Amino acid sequence: MSERGKVVVVACAGMDKPLGSVASASVFKVVEELRPQKVELACIPPLMAGVSAHSELIKNMPVITVDGCAERCATKLIVKSGGKIRGRIFVPDSAKKRNLLPESASHLGPNGEKLAENIAQEIASLVDTLVQGT
Amino acid sequence: MTLAKWKVGVVSCSGEEIPEGTISRIATRLVLEKLRPDETVTICLPLFLAGGEGERTFARLFPTITVDGCEKKCAKIGTEKYSGKPFASLVVTDVLKKCPTLTLKSRDKLSAEEWEFAEKVAKEIAEKVDEALRAQNKQLRSEKQ
Repeated sequence: MSERGKVVVVACAGMDKPLGSVASASVFKVVEELRPQKVELACIPPLMAGVSAHSELIKNMPVITVDGCAERCATKLIVKSGGKIRGRIFVPDSAKKRNLLPESASHLGPNGEKLAENIAQEIASLVDTLVQGT
Repeated sequence: MTLAKWKVGVVSCSGEEIPEGTISRIATRLVLEKLRPDETVTICLPLFLAGGEGERTFARLFPTITVDGCEKKCAKIGTEKYSGKPFASLVVTDVLKKCPTLTLKSRDKLSAEEWEFAEKVAKEIAEKVDEALRAQNKQLRSEKQ
């Protein structure tokens, strides 16, 4: 069992890319709708600012990263901060696999929403696996 | 990254843990896409923090406005640490104090009131953009004289 039966999910903020917005939207669906009791959401900047509660969180609980572009900032920064990554989602791969693209960074549109929903389901399955299997 | 003249960089916090962070991101996008599309660019904060040289160079050379969701002020701290002092810094919780009846609830789907608030924050950012451009023009004029 993971500590406290929870998993930390970290998405890139992706302000400048539509797939970054999909990353954010998908983790919101997980934490607000699909697995609210099993997931802690951690945002990246406080980790880099050294906010201790966040640093402890990613060191003590399994982490799933969700990256919106090839820079893979969420993954890089969690590794840099000493977090334990146990699952990774790369949104461009998910978009390609499902042939779904968002309209823009501020308006996902039906395809972008569907993509976020699919990725949210994928994250939720990973969360279940990590919570049950560790 | 192509650097255009007289652009202002708007750096929004990720703010995924709190509704105020969602407001900061949406307000920033409203500025970029509707209010000041020709005068602004955004800087992706995670990339900036991860070591994105293009982002850091831009923020060193051009004025920046940081938009933070909460008092941790991660966008402001990160910008100061890696590039320099921002031209202006906005904190959504400060703007929220001017709307005492409003309670932000969702990180995902905004209510009509929350959208209205995001537009208010966007207008404040746009005002700061105008101030930054005026300051740059003034500086340029004085350098020419």
